Amino acid sequence: MDAPENGPANIIAEDVQVRYTVGTKDPAHRSKGLNRLRDIALGRQGQTTVRALRGVSLVAREGEMIGIVGANGSGKSTFLRNVAGVEQPDRGRILVRYQPLLLGVQAALQPSLSGSENVRLGCLAMGLTPEEAAEAYEYVVDLSALGAAIHRPMGTYSSGMGARLRFAIALAARPKILLIDEALSTGDASFAERSERAMDELLAEAGTVLLVNHAAKVIQELCTRAVWMHQGEIIMDGPADAIAEKYRWWAWNVAKGKEYIAGKLLHDVVRNARKEEINILEPELVKNPIPRHAKRPSKGQKVAAARHVKRREVIEEVEESTALPLSASAPNVWPERIEGNFPQATFPVLPKPAVEAVSIQRAYDEPPPLRYRPREKRVMLRAADPRDRASAVAESSDLTSRRLASNAHRAAEQRYRMRQQMRGEFVEPHNETVPITTGVEQPDSTQREREG
Amino acid sequence: MSETTNPLGLTSMPSVSSEGLVPVGKRTSLRSYLSGLWNRRHFIIAESRAKVSGSTRKNLLGYGWLFLNPLLSVLAFWFIFGFILKTSDGVENFIGYLVIGVFFFQYTARCVTGGTGAIRSGAAMIRAFQFPRAALPISTVARNLLDFMPSLAVMILLLIVIPPLEHLSWRIVLIVPIIALQTIFNVGLSCLLARAGHMIPDLGNLMSILSRFWLYGSGVFFVIDVALADHPALLALMRINPMYSYLELTRDSLLYGVTSPWWMWLSAATWAFGLLVVGFLFFWRGEESYGRS
Repeated sequence: MDAPENGPANIIAEDVQVRYTVGTKDPAHRSKGLNRLRDIALGRQGQTTVRALRGVSLVAREGEMIGIVGANGSGKSTFLRNVAGVEQPDRGRILVRYQPLLLGVQAALQPSLSGSENVRLGCLAMGLTPEEAAEAYEYVVDLSALGAAIHRPMGTYSSGMGARLRFAIALAARPKILLIDEALSTGDASFAERSERAMDELLAEAGTVLLVNHAAKVIQELCTRAVWMHQGEIIMDGPADAIAEKYRWWAWNVAKGKEYIAGKLLHDVVRNARKEEINILEPELVKNPIPRHAKRPSKGQKVAAARHVKRREVIEEVEESTALPLSASAPNVWPERIEGNFPQATFPVLPKPAVEAVSIQRAYDEPPPLRYRPREKRVMLRAADPRDRASAVAESSDLTSRRLASNAHRAAEQRYRMRQQMRGEFVEPHNETVPITTGVEQPDSTQREREG
Repeated sequence: MSETTNPLGLTSMPSVSSEGLVPVGKRTSLRSYLSGLWNRRHFIIAESRAKVSGSTRKNLLGYGWLFLNPLLSVLAFWFIFGFILKTSDGVENFIGYLVIGVFFFQYTARCVTGGTGAIRSGAAMIRAFQFPRAALPISTVARNLLDFMPSLAVMILLLIVIPPLEHLSWRIVLIVPIIALQTIFNVGLSCLLARAGHMIPDLGNLMSILSRFWLYGSGVFFVIDVALADHPALLALMRINPMYSYLELTRDSLLYGVTSPWWMWLSAATWAFGLLVVGFLFFWRGEESYGRS
């Protein structure tokens, strides 16, 4: 299975934040004063706010199967519930191309009804007509392979059987986006194979699967990509192999009680984590750059169709003609060798690339280090003489020296110096005028972040 | 994920086009919501039938209780009021009066209870599938209507059999529009209470008390026109009560065979359609919140 890196996105989650207010027995969260009296009188508990998701951004494309790993309570299930649309995030937004279908751990829909009645009910709830539901019934029975148990009440099923039936019902509507929350881990080996094949079919039809599973091996085998969530954030995102391997190594260390190694690993991953930011290009803004509020529809005007609503599908009709074209039957239309004196083809002069046209020639090939947040980019004006610069002036006078000689400023100074050196124009200043700490040789990413 | 860098090196953010994508789980416009609901009509019917059969399946007699329950309660009323107490309270055919009142009120009272807990009891379906959530309170009403039908049949049968015989006339067909109006009223009411019960979980405790008040205020056991004869203001208030209209209309057409006053029909229809619009819009506005428990 090849991972289409640049295929159209099926799911876009942009900075999704979720918080819950829940009761707690924690003595630290007891309410104070009169509220405490009220809580005692009503038998209520203290309240605390849990940040389940702290800004998750993810783009899932067509044909991708993304595994989500992470410790318990890291926000995996919450994220899936939000993608499914069961809950709305407090901040951020989630865009999908098709209606996602969530497979949760609690499989039983109506425990008192038989499996076959649940199949019908589930199909109808997904919006199938009764005829389609009757057709899908065969498929569901085949896929779930429950045999005679399909006629027994669903409440009597084992958890594995329930999960099987639930999975089969979900696939009956041929969803394009499937969110699986631990649902398949209870199935046996024969079912695992059948469900994998069903999911492969789904992926081949330009679908997307998000899979939460604690077994890193399953992620490694099934998924093309994996993300590692920790405390409501995505701390790693990449190929499934690498991430599953790292996660497994971390989980193994935790399980063996090697807290030190596990903590170090986690710290390493968290420190290298970069917060993913997505630039969502709004197609309707490209087509119609007037913002919505600026153009209020007056009475006579008719508003075009609601934005966002429909995917424009352009189907190019290819006419298939059985008869070969004339040129194919006559090979002598073109001479085998063209003789004669032909003038050399001339091409128009290409315009200069924007970089060369605008700025001076760069003296080095390496691009300047990428800014983390370009929107907040500051412009620094520099004096030609280093001794006239603000930092140098500040160093000589005392009042503002502490503020200007901050880490960030020093780093910026350092980078400026390096660049000048590369260009060969740099005049070595006196040591006193430009303060440089020897410890900071290469400003690392965190420092750059703080600066930006 | 591809990192696109523009020639000036300004951004490292991956860009992705949102063309053809829609926000998930958002409340849709009223028109598409209604059409979605119409597409789920088979689901509503299947769900309500499943609830009826699910509630009776554990019993030995199964569906038999749908008939036995009203039969036995009518017999109990007849035994106590007709045989032991021999009260009539100045009402012609008091047993028929009582039975109609109890059964028709029970229909609405069950919709109130079921509607208040509709979101909580449908939590598994809400988590599993995406459908217009209004299907849940509506299926509660449909379920109670299905429950009500056998009771109605038993009631009419017994009213014919048990003396004193009531006056049958063509007006018996008016029972159909009355039940239709009451069902519409119940849909509006249970939509309203479904969202209210979801927002305020305490409402479940309150509803049983409120519905008892309503029971006594609707003239189920006694004639409020007689009881409140010397409080005209209170009587007018009681007559606005929709259940009073529904019960009186039913008794007039089924029991006494007389034509009801026009204001009763007006009150019944206004309540039914008014509450339907208000309750449904109220429920629809909370569409996004039902997933969170």
